[in-house]
Amino acid sequence: MEEILKIEDLSIIYKTDLETVYAVNGISFSLKQGETMGLVGETGAGKTTTALGVLGLLPKRTARVTSGRILFDGQDVCRMKEQELERVRGEKISMIFQDPMTALNPVLTVGSQIGEALYLHNDAELSQKEIEQRVEETLELVGIPKERKNEYPYQFSGGMRQRVVIAIALVCNPKLLIADEPTTALDVTIQAQILTMICDLQRKYGTSVIMITHDLGVVAETCDKVGIMYAGEIVEYGTLADIFTGDRHHPYTEGLFGSIPSLTEESRRLHPIEGLMPDPTKLPEGCKFAPRCAKCMEICKSRQPGVWEENGHQIRCHCYSNPAEVKR
Amino acid sequence: MTEILLDVKNLKKYFKTPAGMLHAVDDVSFSIPKGKTMGVVGESGCGKSTLGRTALQLYEPTAGEILFHGKNIASLSKKEFHQIRPKMQMIFQDPYASLNGRMTVRQLIAEPLIVNKVCKSKRETEEKVDRIMDTVGLASRLAMAYPHELDGGRRQRIGIARALILNPEFVVCDEPVSALDVSIQAQILNLLMDLQEQMGLTYLFITHDLSVVRHISDEIMVMYLGKCVEYAEAKEIFRNPVHPYTKALLASIPIPSVESLHKRRELIKGEVTSPVNPKPGCRFAARCPFASDACRQEDIPLKEVAPGHFAACRMV
Repeated sequence: MEEILKIEDLSIIYKTDLETVYAVNGISFSLKQGETMGLVGETGAGKTTTALGVLGLLPKRTARVTSGRILFDGQDVCRMKEQELERVRGEKISMIFQDPMTALNPVLTVGSQIGEALYLHNDAELSQKEIEQRVEETLELVGIPKERKNEYPYQFSGGMRQRVVIAIALVCNPKLLIADEPTTALDVTIQAQILTMICDLQRKYGTSVIMITHDLGVVAETCDKVGIMYAGEIVEYGTLADIFTGDRHHPYTEGLFGSIPSLTEESRRLHPIEGLMPDPTKLPEGCKFAPRCAKCMEICKSRQPGVWEENGHQIRCHCYSNPAEVKR
Repeated sequence: MTEILLDVKNLKKYFKTPAGMLHAVDDVSFSIPKGKTMGVVGESGCGKSTLGRTALQLYEPTAGEILFHGKNIASLSKKEFHQIRPKMQMIFQDPYASLNGRMTVRQLIAEPLIVNKVCKSKRETEEKVDRIMDTVGLASRLAMAYPHELDGGRRQRIGIARALILNPEFVVCDEPVSALDVSIQAQILNLLMDLQEQMGLTYLFITHDLSVVRHISDEIMVMYLGKCVEYAEAKEIFRNPVHPYTKALLASIPIPSVESLHKRRELIKGEVTSPVNPKPGCRFAARCPFASDACRQEDIPLKEVAPGHFAACRMV
């Protein structure tokens, strides 16, 4: 199948007078049409920065792409002019934002907010009436009665607002949808409804999705491929089965799984990762995870690990740089 | 049988709103034995936090009794209540909002000691602060730092230190880990469980995260719109949920394993209805796939379905 998005060795920094934040450090991945890729990581891992980079929405004053390319449909997003970007954004790539409470404009009706994308990307020269009709169809699609299109965001509950945000993202039939923690602000029963809806719509329209989340449960239910991010790097990348079963993992992935209380197994203690995320202005030399890693060796403190790969399953760790020496 | 530390009977808390009476907590009873953890789960707006705060008398209950060591705390005089207050403490949800940004870590942790006039000298206060900082895993070099310099996990440790410095017996933990990342969340959960063992604490643990509540609780209460819909031992409720809401809640949790990919789940439709002037009958009836007219007629009391396992549903 066609590759829709390809990111090669992308690095992004935020530079201010006082300090430089190394937010994304050399990540690469690709996404085919209709696939869902999960980006998992904790706060500050660089997930959202990656997403904003793909959309060309990085803050101009501070953010710099220092290396790499983001190829969307063969074109480099980083080198596009603002006008070209405007044509891509919202029409071909769109985003579902994390917090439905603040992502909507409180003084516009939901109908006009959904219609806005159609007005701006009106290549087919739809008439006012046709646009209204598309808005109504999209509302029904996300499970909101079309009679409610003239209501304001405050009249909707959190779950319903997230549906409106999804409707805005989907109204132009984008090729790529970036969902940035789409269900974090919602209750579990509503989360289940929204996730099912995103998956159904994706299958219907063949959209590719990047699902940004910190919840491994959400990943297991929606994603085909998974990238685990830590301190701006993808430390492990593979198919869902590689990450969730498989017998070789990055120590950070193991730590993440050890931190979740299990619903089925009895255990009195969790096995968390000790310590904290490194300060992104002063990243450690060598492996970024070394200071918290239980398997840390001498070499980890001084040299960046290379990528170990087997059938597309990639791990960035010194434990696996030479497969013959792997001890478990 | 161990001693019952906290016994809550028919607790009600209504708030007056322009639209009518909001039934935040409606006729909830439970008891917690000493040294055990009671978990309260439910979706936002179901009255979990109000329950926790009312149990600590931070809100005046509309009706019902709260017995602490067998004494009704509502009937105590102001002076007697002040003697009991240090024994009942709370850990708040948001470590970013619950600390005064103008106080240092040391001042923040010492504040409960000063308010309650526990220590006779400054040195005694400092010693106590040092000891509790060590207990909750805060390095002593952080004593002069301000909260904004610290990350969420460390701030939550300050919140825990503030709650524990008065040697309480009973602590209400209101979503203590929901604002934290998973790896930090696990550190804090382990800390809370270690402290319970060391100090013999009794917890009322409020959360919306079912895997967390299963991990830490001895007994679990599931709430829906101010009502307790199911109440049982932690293992029992996960092994054998009875109430349709509990079942739906458990089915909604995304499970981190490969088998769950694209798995069709049974979803409950709709959303939580308004808690303002609720109609009689089962509160869950509007979303329940098994609801009949009889469910909407009258309130359904808790029924014992197995020893120690209670559920409020007509079907059981």
